[in-house]
Amino acid sequence: MTTVHQLVPTISPRDAVGNHTLALRKILRELGCESEIFSMFRHKDLMADTHYVDELPGDTDVVIYQFSIGSPVADRWAQHPALKVANYHNITPMSLVGKWDGLLAAEVQLGRDQMARYAKLCDHAICDSDFNRSELDALGYKSTETIPVLFDSLNTRSDRGTLAKLERDRRGTQVLFVGRIAPNKAHHDLVAAVRTLREVHNDDAHLHFVGTDGPPSYRSTLNGIINHAGMRDHVTFHGSVSQEQLVSHYMAADVFCCLSDHEGFCVPVIEAMNHDLPVIAFSCTAVGETVGSGGLLLAEKSPLLVASAIHRVSNDGALAQRLRQAGRQRAKNFESGITQEKFRRQISNLILESL
Amino acid sequence: MSDSQSDADYFQEVVTEIELEARRRAATGEYPRELLRSLDEEFRRWIPDASLENGIEDTIRGIEAASYVDAAVPLESRSPVGSFTKWVVRRLTYFYHRHMAQQITALGIHITRPLRLIDASLKDINRRLSLVEDQLDVSAAARSELIASVSHLSASEGIEEILVKHFRGVSGRVLLGDLFEPSALNFLQNQGVDIYGVTPSGEAATAVDIQQAELIEHLDHLDNNALAGFILCGITDRGSLNEQLRALRLLLLRSRAGARAAIVVSKPEVLSSQLGPVAADLLQGRPLHSETWCYLLSRENASDITVSESSDSAFCLITATLP
Repeated sequence: MTTVHQLVPTISPRDAVGNHTLALRKILRELGCESEIFSMFRHKDLMADTHYVDELPGDTDVVIYQFSIGSPVADRWAQHPALKVANYHNITPMSLVGKWDGLLAAEVQLGRDQMARYAKLCDHAICDSDFNRSELDALGYKSTETIPVLFDSLNTRSDRGTLAKLERDRRGTQVLFVGRIAPNKAHHDLVAAVRTLREVHNDDAHLHFVGTDGPPSYRSTLNGIINHAGMRDHVTFHGSVSQEQLVSHYMAADVFCCLSDHEGFCVPVIEAMNHDLPVIAFSCTAVGETVGSGGLLLAEKSPLLVASAIHRVSNDGALAQRLRQAGRQRAKNFESGITQEKFRRQISNLILESL
Repeated sequence: MSDSQSDADYFQEVVTEIELEARRRAATGEYPRELLRSLDEEFRRWIPDASLENGIEDTIRGIEAASYVDAAVPLESRSPVGSFTKWVVRRLTYFYHRHMAQQITALGIHITRPLRLIDASLKDINRRLSLVEDQLDVSAAARSELIASVSHLSASEGIEEILVKHFRGVSGRVLLGDLFEPSALNFLQNQGVDIYGVTPSGEAATAVDIQQAELIEHLDHLDNNALAGFILCGITDRGSLNEQLRALRLLLLRSRAGARAAIVVSKPEVLSSQLGPVAADLLQGRPLHSETWCYLLSRENASDITVSESSDSAFCLITATLP
């Protein structure tokens, strides 16, 4: 039996890379491979289901490394004699995190360094987006291709309690963003935009942030800005939520707005499209290619422009409807069945190559 | 044409319409520019500025936290038998684990001590570097000599009447800075303008209405909307490009809607003909052309932007009304 194992620095549920790694293991097993996940930091819920990195067998045929941060795990992968495959999810540039989180800055710097060092060692690289792929191509990776990240399209039911509460509290336009509270996600720009929306368009709008906390210094900055802007009663941090609660948020919102400065793919955009939520996004890094023709792409993100875009979408029923339809159509490109098939085909080729 | 192409084209048209709408609103003054400037300022205020220092500090704390090794192995297990077995093994091997854990913890402490020393040393070097940074500027002395020879704005430049007309009827305080001699201030006060001056020079701070302070420092401590108008001068000839732009930014932030703005600036060609090519090279970026100030003001949607020259053609006066 062919062995195709995965190495990942950290594995945890409710995390895009973690979910992807688990989904990929399922595909590998369905292909008849012996496949396990080896990681340095394992979430307690996944302890029984994964292995510590030291246990990676030396006689593995293919080792896939899930690349999204700097880690000593990358060195284990690089030293392994198996066919080496990198699955690249992008690494946030240090310039975007350095001021906020020194430890994270050190990790991303190491990640970028490892990414450059292992260009010649890597036999094949699978990237979430063409944007990610262009980074590896520029570093001289010899074989690269784009296959989107594997994610659950949230075919789960909504949480009724959450939905009822969100509906009960709604007044003006409900703007949603889903993502870790981190500087590269530019939550502060969303606060400025919604504040402008409230003032310029007299919209009693409310901003909902769903996602885990990132660097504490960024969160405190964000709190300072929210207070300064008089937005304390108009911004809600919901934190990390269950799948069912997340669906409720997508259902209750009027607009999904993403003003991130750096994304390697941006799964929440597709989730929003899947739930008929019109998407407005600042077109940068991989966001533009993920949104594609399924949403409004802004070339800049001045608060007035973003506020005008939100106002237009929430007041133009025909436009909102067309955005919903186009979004749903766009999301079909990323349906798990299609992506799984692409992985199946590629992994089968790699297995043949390794034999 | 495919559906997705048709959607993409339609959405692009909509975005173009939205951009035009945003521009229209900006032009008609609906844009809460003052609010957004203050949000920008707030963001700048909160951004941590000693990232590397914080990073090292955080890293050391992380090592310190991680270097404490807990010898009490967790006992949780899926079966009671497993849990009991773990308990027995822990009891039997506790003396060994505790011995090992203590040594690892001690190692961690010994690693972090020199790291803390290195961190303190780096912080000290950074502090010293920032202090000597100005001294490392080899042309600083030459520049300060050149700047000292730049003449100051005075009431005799034939621009007072325009200033009086511009600030007549303004209700609220008007700031004049940098002020180097009080004649212009006195003249405007006599004409009923509620004006005060800010000067970095102790010699010029001769009256109650003249505060001795660096203009930017003074503006940093001023409340938003505190000013009904301002006359920016002095720093426009002497300050670095960054200082000039920062002063303007802060003045805009501290000015209320509809405030009157005036900028007095030497004509670069006149100044360089007076001071020669050395000044033109070493005082690069000062003064800015009047066209540049007009551009900066129009970018902020100021209206009625007018440029006037002093009677001796040495100065330009740019007046405008803020949105």
